[in-house]
Amino acid sequence: MAGSRLEKFGTVYTRVRDLLRAGVLKPEEKPIWYDVYAAFPPKREPLYQKPRRPKVPAADPVPQLFYKEDEIRAKFFEVYGNGPKAFELLKPNFISSCQKFVMKYSELESRGDIKPELLFEETAKALLSEGIYLRKRGGPVQVAPESRDPLLSMKLTDMLAEQQKDKDTETNIPEKQPEAETLNPDSQTS
Amino acid sequence: MAAGVLTRVKQALRGPRLAAAVFSCHGQTLSSAAAAVHSPAAPTIETDATDKILNFPLTQPDYFRLSELFSIKDLFDARVHLGHKKGCRHALMEPYLFGCRLDMDIIDLEQTVDHLQQALNFTAHVAFRGGVVLFVSRRRQFAHLVETTARDCGEYAHTRYWKGGLLTNAPVQYSPGVRLPDLIVFLSTLNNVFQEHVGIRDAAKMNIPTVGIVDSNCNPSLITYPVPGNDDTPAAMEMYCRLFKMTIKRAKDKRRQMELLKGI
Repeated sequence: MAGSRLEKFGTVYTRVRDLLRAGVLKPEEKPIWYDVYAAFPPKREPLYQKPRRPKVPAADPVPQLFYKEDEIRAKFFEVYGNGPKAFELLKPNFISSCQKFVMKYSELESRGDIKPELLFEETAKALLSEGIYLRKRGGPVQVAPESRDPLLSMKLTDMLAEQQKDKDTETNIPEKQPEAETLNPDSQTS
Repeated sequence: MAAGVLTRVKQALRGPRLAAAVFSCHGQTLSSAAAAVHSPAAPTIETDATDKILNFPLTQPDYFRLSELFSIKDLFDARVHLGHKKGCRHALMEPYLFGCRLDMDIIDLEQTVDHLQQALNFTAHVAFRGGVVLFVSRRRQFAHLVETTARDCGEYAHTRYWKGGLLTNAPVQYSPGVRLPDLIVFLSTLNNVFQEHVGIRDAAKMNIPTVGIVDSNCNPSLITYPVPGNDDTPAAMEMYCRLFKMTIKRAKDKRRQMELLKGI
């Protein structure tokens, strides 16, 4: 069967059409898809387009997608980090803690009785009342004071200075050494 | 390789199909000289009926009712709208993108619905007329899925390394009377090194129309019926495979039905 292998000129359809018109392809050799293409042509003719050098366009043709709620979301992530609840992406209608925050914020904003500067705090308080505890990012480490080993807060330089002072006075050396010995295994395990 | 026998099958004779055709298929191109010889010059009644079977479906916009197979919501749930990052974007895909959310391209599903409808319609009509469909995908993750899809709808698949002259040198690499596919469906238009699959250019050279799922980093220019959509997510790929399988099955069942009716 005759054919035309020039994929850069015209489309598949135009080449076959011209071959049929010229008589190179006999009518009984017409491809199966020819009539289907003629009846249902594609939206864009599949012409070969030369790969253009990617010049930096003045304006990005694809619009950036931003929403009004993004401002609230940005502030939320800045203050609270990722939020307490992990994102479950497999669930189609999943509502994250950030989304709950945004919904509550919009609700309070539409109510209109709270000043805009206090809206953020009010939303946090409202969510706390609903049972969602938001922890501020970069805040104090959540460890109870009594669980901290008091030995950890001792600095080696201070101890050495103290030791030096005691050496000069020559009274507390026997007491200091056992303390230093007990300190080292603690600092290794801590 | 052992899998080559399953996947790269180009039969000289599509025996069962041709034997089942009672009347001669006027519209078919039988490039194979060794193809079965049909009864020539059928009487006028036969040609009228044949014409009706072949030409009437082309007058209907959605003869196989393919629009009921999928909706925009199904595409969204299968994550078809997720493209690649802005840096990977192909310049020619810009018209098909809805927007860019924090550097991630989002494909316009309204356009995808139209394109997918057209692509499935074309596939159905080609399958209705007894055309050979070849599924191509070079994604190793979905190779098995594509092969089973092709096997289930009675068509062919090629998910392995594409040898140079597969289409362009087929009479030498296979046998002189080999019949080439009438439609090639690319479930991913890129090969393993993120370049355009050679099959797209080869199909255009051999005047074979192509249907292809083009992601935001693919080149849609040479594909006859491009479908902008995600080709990386398993959910999306399973959906495409399911849709193509159902389309081809519907078309073939319809054809068998028409032939039986005509036989009566």
